[in-house]
Amino acid sequence: MAAFLIRRLLHSVFVVLAITLVIFVLVRMTGDPVSIMFQAGEPTKEAITELRKNLGLDEPVYVQFGLYLKDMFTGNFGTSFRTGESVIDMMNEKMGATLLLAFGGMFVALLIAIPVGIISAVYRGSVADFFGRIFSLLGISFPNFWLGIMLIIIFAVKLGWFPASGYEGLEYLVLPSVALGLILSGILARLVRSSMLEVMNQQYINTARSKGIKEWLVIIKHGLRNALIPTVTFIGLQFGTLLGGTVIIEQVFSWPGIGRMLIDAISQRDFPVIQGSVIILSFLMIFVNLLVDLSYGFIDPRIRQGGGKSE
Amino acid sequence: MKKKVGITTCSALLLLAAALGGCSGKSADTSTQANPQSKTEAQAPAKNELTLGVNGDPHSWDPIDTFLLDWSTVATSVFEGLVERTTDLKIQPGLAESWEFKDDKTLQFKLRKGVTFHNGEPFNAEAVKFTFDRLLGEEGKKGPQQANYASIDRVEVVDEFTVNMILKEKDPVLLTKLAGYGGVIVPPKYYKEKGDEYFNTHPVGTGPFKMDSYEKDNKVVLVKNESYWKQGQPKLEKVTFRFIPEATTRLAEMQTGAIDIMKKVEISQTESIKGMSDLELMQVGSPTVYSIRFNTSMKPVDNVKVREAIAYAIDADLIIETLLGGYGKRVNSFQSDMSFGYDPNLPLRNYDPEKAKQLLAEAGVKEGTELDLFLPGTDATFKEVAQAIEMQLGQVGLKVKLNLVDASTFTSDLIPKGKAGHMYRNGWGGWTLDFDNTAYLMYHKGEFWNPDFYDEKVEELLKTERSTFDQEKRMAAFKELNQRLYELVPDVPLYQTINLWAVNKRVKGFQPPTDERIDLREASVE
Repeated sequence: MAAFLIRRLLHSVFVVLAITLVIFVLVRMTGDPVSIMFQAGEPTKEAITELRKNLGLDEPVYVQFGLYLKDMFTGNFGTSFRTGESVIDMMNEKMGATLLLAFGGMFVALLIAIPVGIISAVYRGSVADFFGRIFSLLGISFPNFWLGIMLIIIFAVKLGWFPASGYEGLEYLVLPSVALGLILSGILARLVRSSMLEVMNQQYINTARSKGIKEWLVIIKHGLRNALIPTVTFIGLQFGTLLGGTVIIEQVFSWPGIGRMLIDAISQRDFPVIQGSVIILSFLMIFVNLLVDLSYGFIDPRIRQGGGKSE
Repeated sequence: MKKKVGITTCSALLLLAAALGGCSGKSADTSTQANPQSKTEAQAPAKNELTLGVNGDPHSWDPIDTFLLDWSTVATSVFEGLVERTTDLKIQPGLAESWEFKDDKTLQFKLRKGVTFHNGEPFNAEAVKFTFDRLLGEEGKKGPQQANYASIDRVEVVDEFTVNMILKEKDPVLLTKLAGYGGVIVPPKYYKEKGDEYFNTHPVGTGPFKMDSYEKDNKVVLVKNESYWKQGQPKLEKVTFRFIPEATTRLAEMQTGAIDIMKKVEISQTESIKGMSDLELMQVGSPTVYSIRFNTSMKPVDNVKVREAIAYAIDADLIIETLLGGYGKRVNSFQSDMSFGYDPNLPLRNYDPEKAKQLLAEAGVKEGTELDLFLPGTDATFKEVAQAIEMQLGQVGLKVKLNLVDASTFTSDLIPKGKAGHMYRNGWGGWTLDFDNTAYLMYHKGEFWNPDFYDEKVEELLKTERSTFDQEKRMAAFKELNQRLYELVPDVPLYQTINLWAVNKRVKGFQPPTDERIDLREASVE
């Protein structure tokens, strides 16, 4: 187990370094941040050169990279070109809102996917199953930008049930969570359905039934609980997709999270913010993946022993 | 097995709880003040309170760090400069009651007495000196605003309410700039005590409203400055600016009544607004002008006849009428009709495809010659304009290839390096409302955004215009400059944009600003 963990950790360090290099070089190929910084002024060439020097952008890229790496190992991800605020502080400030939205989306997805998946599996081939599968297909096919706007028009403008945008209280979480969750629920419902089908054919389900336990108890207690194992790991792996999805949803619903911060930073070529947030997000993804891998090991000892090969 | 599933579920729940817990803590941190009552207020707008939906959060309120129009939208209510501009763009006294040039390089300001900053600190000559020391010193170096005030050498205190601004060189547009961004006056004591970072999120000025709370990317709440120096102003008790980047979402908030004023209405949204009885669509001219700019060093557009032919082949009136829904204005030079230096008597090149064909034949340009047109991919409106131009140029035998590129790469990389093809979209704001900056930066040899155009006569006229404060002499130079540029056709001016605003009819006394700087001193609600 220790060897597995060490190997995975070394692997993670390598991935982070690779991501840092790639994002550092790529972001510098996208244009000059200084000329973009003058939207409200009309600067001379001298002013542009001077500001570039003050931001350290006149150094060769490899020197900039060296300095950045050095700082990064002391936990310093630089400061924003625009506000002078440290990237770590900015991430800290926004992470809560983004995680709240991601978990809200996940909650909605589970709330829909589990019953739909169960019903589809239990009444396999029925009308309910048919509609369940159509629903999954719709969920997967909707672009989340469009879905978000539709939700706003229907539930905020026409019906007036929920606020359209912003972040003041829990009711503001409903529409963006639904927009995010509906899309994921399609894939999840399919997964729950197929896992349930597999589980319900197992010997121990028949054993439970033969003991005279009520059918719904068999489904929930014996069926669902076992069917949830692949679902939980899937959710772990989908976490990245979910964080990615929040970028668009945050923009549509004016949600003050990392996604919007990143979009702003990209359009303004705020290099430190783009680099820092991508690197920190990748840390997070690597960590979640590591947790998922470790949880496999807890659930199924065979994976733990063959860990090296499974990579 | 059971136990293991239990562990996984528990850790998932723990993670969720941690996230929710961390979240509520963080959201409290981001706001300068907890604001539990705001929800009910959004639903039932109280008297004398106004909510505006604007597109962007400037992220830093420090006037010398900013370079965004989004800053001015809100911060105009918080900070003030020595001079200000009226809605019809005339310079009028602000924190300075009067000013005069003692000599060519000394500009003396008499300051307004009895003005205090929001924290109670007095406004005086020291504050003015501090503001400019900071702007022109080390602090200002880190931001883009210093460059706008390069002509100022230093500020000297004469007495408590008099300052001298000592100039390095003549600067005919300095006063216009002082009514602009970086030169607004900041409180020295507050700044020194609280530090730079705190000031970024908790700005203090002398303006009609003071900042009550600020939640990044969400909203900023301003409240009335009770001791504002202008009698009877402001009329509103409270103003909330909400940052809503998507125009569709802003319109939805307008329809639900959650916001009273919407900035940046898109042309496609005008019909929905006109269809709602409680909303009013307001339009205001903007200094932003769009043109097709040529790379004058590239064949065949290095030939002035070809450039002239293209100017005749584009039907700008039709573009404005159909694609812009009439919300645009023809211009004869690359500046808006609001800027000093605009000559209304300069002719327009009206659509004349026959003349275009004739000029192309004279220049020896063959039918089917291919030309590149670059534009930023994010500009949906201009994409349609470019398609119309593609078609119109096609009718005179030119084959246009549209290249949609990333907006930032386009302005920061392709244009300055002369890599934006034969022609590209050029958009310009001209914030000083004086042709000086635009003309200089666009046509003076070696400027960042002018990689190829050069003309000796143009250089000479630019020099003349810059060397005097005499507005008549300057205007004469601009007239000649406009004429010269008209002949050389470095660009085809297409239109001056019109900004659209949606306003709830319960709002009174609101005038949409031409420069996005919202002045709410006279505004009130019914």
